[in-house]
Amino acid sequence: MTSSSRNGSGPIVWAAIIAVTCLLLQVFQKMLWLVVPFLLALILYYILYPTMQYLVYRGLSRAAAAGGTIVLFLAAFIVGAALMVPWLATHMVDIQASVEPYLAGGLRLLERSLQALEQSWSMLADAHLAATAMEKFQHSAGSAAEHIEPVAMGVAAWMPSLLLAPFLAFFFLKDGLRFKRFLARAVPNAFFERTLYLLHEVDQTLRAYFTGLMKLTVLDTFTLAAGLWLLGFPGALALGLICAVLAWIPYVGSVLGGLVVVLVAATDFPAQPSMAYWAIALFIVVRLLDDFVYMPLTVGKSLHMHPLVTVLMIFAGGAVAGISGLMLVLPVLGVVMVCGETIGKVVTDARLMARHRHAKLLRRKQASIDLQV
Amino acid sequence: MGLNPFRRHSSSPRLEKLRALSLFGELATSELAIVEALLHERDFLKDEVIFDEGEDGQAIYIVLDGAVLICRQGEPESGLLATLEAGSFFGDIALLENLPRTAQARAAENCRLAVFFRADFVGLMETHGVIASKISLQLARNMGKRLRDATLGVGSVHRHL
Repeated sequence: MTSSSRNGSGPIVWAAIIAVTCLLLQVFQKMLWLVVPFLLALILYYILYPTMQYLVYRGLSRAAAAGGTIVLFLAAFIVGAALMVPWLATHMVDIQASVEPYLAGGLRLLERSLQALEQSWSMLADAHLAATAMEKFQHSAGSAAEHIEPVAMGVAAWMPSLLLAPFLAFFFLKDGLRFKRFLARAVPNAFFERTLYLLHEVDQTLRAYFTGLMKLTVLDTFTLAAGLWLLGFPGALALGLICAVLAWIPYVGSVLGGLVVVLVAATDFPAQPSMAYWAIALFIVVRLLDDFVYMPLTVGKSLHMHPLVTVLMIFAGGAVAGISGLMLVLPVLGVVMVCGETIGKVVTDARLMARHRHAKLLRRKQASIDLQV
Repeated sequence: MGLNPFRRHSSSPRLEKLRALSLFGELATSELAIVEALLHERDFLKDEVIFDEGEDGQAIYIVLDGAVLICRQGEPESGLLATLEAGSFFGDIALLENLPRTAQARAAENCRLAVFFRADFVGLMETHGVIASKISLQLARNMGKRLRDATLGVGSVHRHL
């Protein structure tokens, strides 16, 4: 589009964009059973598309290429899972047994930190901050076993829904172009080029966001793993991966990831409180690397949003739809923004509307050409 | 029909119609099938505007049936620059140079056009070397013909697209 079409939208369009985004987040929160597999399918589609395109260019039909690509992916997934299952089976008991010590280690670190604060600030000592906080934590935390069961049940309940993802991805790969043509066919001639541009922009926005997110996850995993390994943490790669995946939830995820590593540090190095502080320092460094190096390289400016709007919308997403709102707000806002800006430009373009009216008139004339009395 | 997924694409009437277009004349059947999946079809009534002068060039148009006239904005008779029949294409210069359209296109009669959207066109040219070279050759030939026509004073066909 030319510079004229890149001009910012007016306040009414922006108000509509924000309202529609919040509405969609509320709707999505009610149907996460469909939204989650849909998003996973979309991520799979963008990851697998180059393979499918390669097969199409080598002479396969689109259906065969889509089927072949999904079969290859599933085969790789099944082989990976088959290799992981024996390891998981042997370590599951250890994992379950080690959750409680990690929680206890975290609480001990918290208690020590609060006691240190009490020693420095008499006001906090008078309020018995450490004793009060620890009593509340122990009362609300309960045992790890109480929390593990609902998590396991939740994972089991989500499995059928998650199995939808490769199925949906197959149809995205096979019929994506056909669906695009189907949508474009429904649009009047006057708006046709703008609609194609809109569909392209939506596709590009989602592609840039999701593929960028995957690249960011890989970069975060390896950076954190390297840092934790240098500090001497056990299972550095697994910890790095957990923290990188948690970072999919903007802001809150990074804090949760940091908390996990601090818990591990407090438990595995009870005599070295400095390890926890080193872990926190590592997280701050990775956060800075994320914001100033990795993000511009990966997700970057894929959503073309002002940073202030991004931060405000993340808070709005969290307020409207909780954790799902935090995770979905940026891609949803990106797509709604592209649609809103394009539709705003089309309906306010007097020439396009005049051409549409002219075409309608021509069609009406043609339809009644032999019906004149 | 065999079970071989790498079988040669059988040529359908639609693919044969595409092959008859100058832009795709050099493409093999399997390459035509790849291009065909990217094309949109639009029907325009006589006198309907296809695009205006000054608009962004977002697509190449190929005349499948009917005829299209290229004219100065709002002057289909006095400002007529060219009339394009089935098989010819237009809109390529604005798309290649990333400039706004420099003339208006209108349906000279009821017509059917194939539309090759900019992103699909550029994407194909970037990812499929063989198709890219064949289409580029046809585009270059077409440019040469226009240049020759302009030099010989045959007409100002396409110079304003």
